[in-house]
Amino acid sequence: MTPQAERELLIEQVVAAWRPEGGEDGVRSHPAWHDLDEAGRMEAAERTMRARRIEAALHPQGLTTTARLVLAKIRGS
Amino acid sequence: MTDLDTHLPNIAAGDPDAFARWVAGAESRVRASLTSVAGAVDVEAVVQETLLRIWQVAPRVEPDGKPNCLLRLAVRIGRNLAVSDLRRRRVRPDVVARLESRALSDQVDAAPPDPMLRRAIEACREKLPGKPASALDARLSGPGTPDVTLATRMNMKLNTFLQNVTRARSLLAQCLKKRGIDLDAELA
Repeated sequence: MTPQAERELLIEQVVAAWRPEGGEDGVRSHPAWHDLDEAGRMEAAERTMRARRIEAALHPQGLTTTARLVLAKIRGS
Repeated sequence: MTDLDTHLPNIAAGDPDAFARWVAGAESRVRASLTSVAGAVDVEAVVQETLLRIWQVAPRVEPDGKPNCLLRLAVRIGRNLAVSDLRRRRVRPDVVARLESRALSDQVDAAPPDPMLRRAIEACREKLPGKPASALDARLSGPGTPDVTLATRMNMKLNTFLQNVTRARSLLAQCLKKRGIDLDAELA
């Protein structure tokens, strides 16, 4: 796999809403985020904004995957 | 400007549905407020932690008479979480200073829903080919599930799953562009 292809896969993982359980430290960073350089992290953040815009538009209540994940935690607590 | 504080009394009373309505309007603004430090902080993690903390502190929030006090508080909490994270990881002082010195806007607007965009995205989503469509659907329906688990459920290797999600996003963006919708311009 080329470095560019590996970078793309790292970015796609960071765009996901899933994050490791944080315990007392709160929500933790995605492991793939730590493997990206600064430009890759910026790119991931930009793609995440676009992805969330699409998710909100598709959801009947305008909720993104981030929102649904947080709400599931609140309702489960 | 939409004042999301109309939801505050019900949120403070512990109504998660009211909080969902607030989050639907507030999340993108909180995320956008962290753009300048996205190279040094995992913005997604900070946004999630911010929203969780807002839910916890909402019962104690006293409105200040200006619109969107809860949203402005969320932006402050997000910034403080980012600064704490940067300091804990001993990130360059100039990056920390840039975040700390950033003026907080008292006029945070809340983005309204866009039914036309929704129809266009739905139409484009229906045109996605099988595997990219399935992979994207899995991501959207399982936000609390790690990619490796989603991939296993679909009998895919992790890399194949991620490639399919990326391809789905790319095809969606191309389709939207053909319909005259540029997401980059929408978010600018």
